[in-house]
Amino acid sequence: MSSLVKCPHCGLRPREEFTIRGEVATPRPAAGADEAAWFDHVYLRDNPRGEHREYWHHSGGCRRWLVLSRNTLTHETSEVVDASTLKSEGGA
Amino acid sequence: MRDYPLENRYAFPAHEVAFNKGASISLSPVKGGFVVHVLGDAKSDEAALKQTINKIAPELGTDVRGHSPNQWFWVGSVDISNDRLAEISAALHPQFVMTDQTHGRVRMKLSGPSSRVVLAKGTMVDLSPDLFAIGQSAMTQIGHIGAMITRVADDSFELIVLRSFAGSLWDELQHMAAEFSHG
Ligand SMILES: [Zn+2]
Repeated sequence: MSSLVKCPHCGLRPREEFTIRGEVATPRPAAGADEAAWFDHVYLRDNPRGEHREYWHHSGGCRRWLVLSRNTLTHETSEVVDASTLKSEGGA
Repeated sequence: MRDYPLENRYAFPAHEVAFNKGASISLSPVKGGFVVHVLGDAKSDEAALKQTINKIAPELGTDVRGHSPNQWFWVGSVDISNDRLAEISAALHPQFVMTDQTHGRVRMKLSGPSSRVVLAKGTMVDLSPDLFAIGQSAMTQIGHIGAMITRVADDSFELIVLRSFAGSLWDELQHMAAEFSHG
């Protein structure tokens, strides 16, 4: 049985309809930030045990980018929102 | 002048009778008509789209099928000329833009008492009558082929698929429906 993800636009859909992009990185460093800050932003990931936020693309459905909260321990997914909501968080 | 002749090729297999008469399933191409992709701005909604269509081209109907936030396929059974489409496009409320997808996306119809069972082999969208009402649409995948499913009648579904996938989906549906194909 395939795992189901609740797309905020399409409802419950199988994981096969999605393309996973990876962790939602910290906000982009300022343009003039030093190399270490950029290195960290581009290459270093936390790989946490537990709650984790990832970009998922609903490529087989509405074709919107989503942000999904997934527990890396249980694979349970909780909140799924449209990625455009990150704008108001000042992230992305 | 172009130096090669343009060839008008049909998107479906030449032999388009999929199943015996009397089978609990039937599959047929939907010929003619139009499929127009409409994009709206972030504040647009389906009611506003129907309203603007009704004002410009009431004779074409307002069969609009949402496939993403602020995006729809506007579908109808009448053939429209490029000039008429340009006219409609120019008259559309400024919060919408449209692109003609007729021929780029084609339609086929899967009907009969077994249609739900057949589709369930390819998609995980729940098509139960009480959850998926007549007129409702879902953009999904049938197997690995992206398709929009719309329930058009009690046991009847229209599928919109990119033209180049029409042959493959047709073939796949025939396999999926093989167990019901004898009348
Ligand atoms: Zn979706």
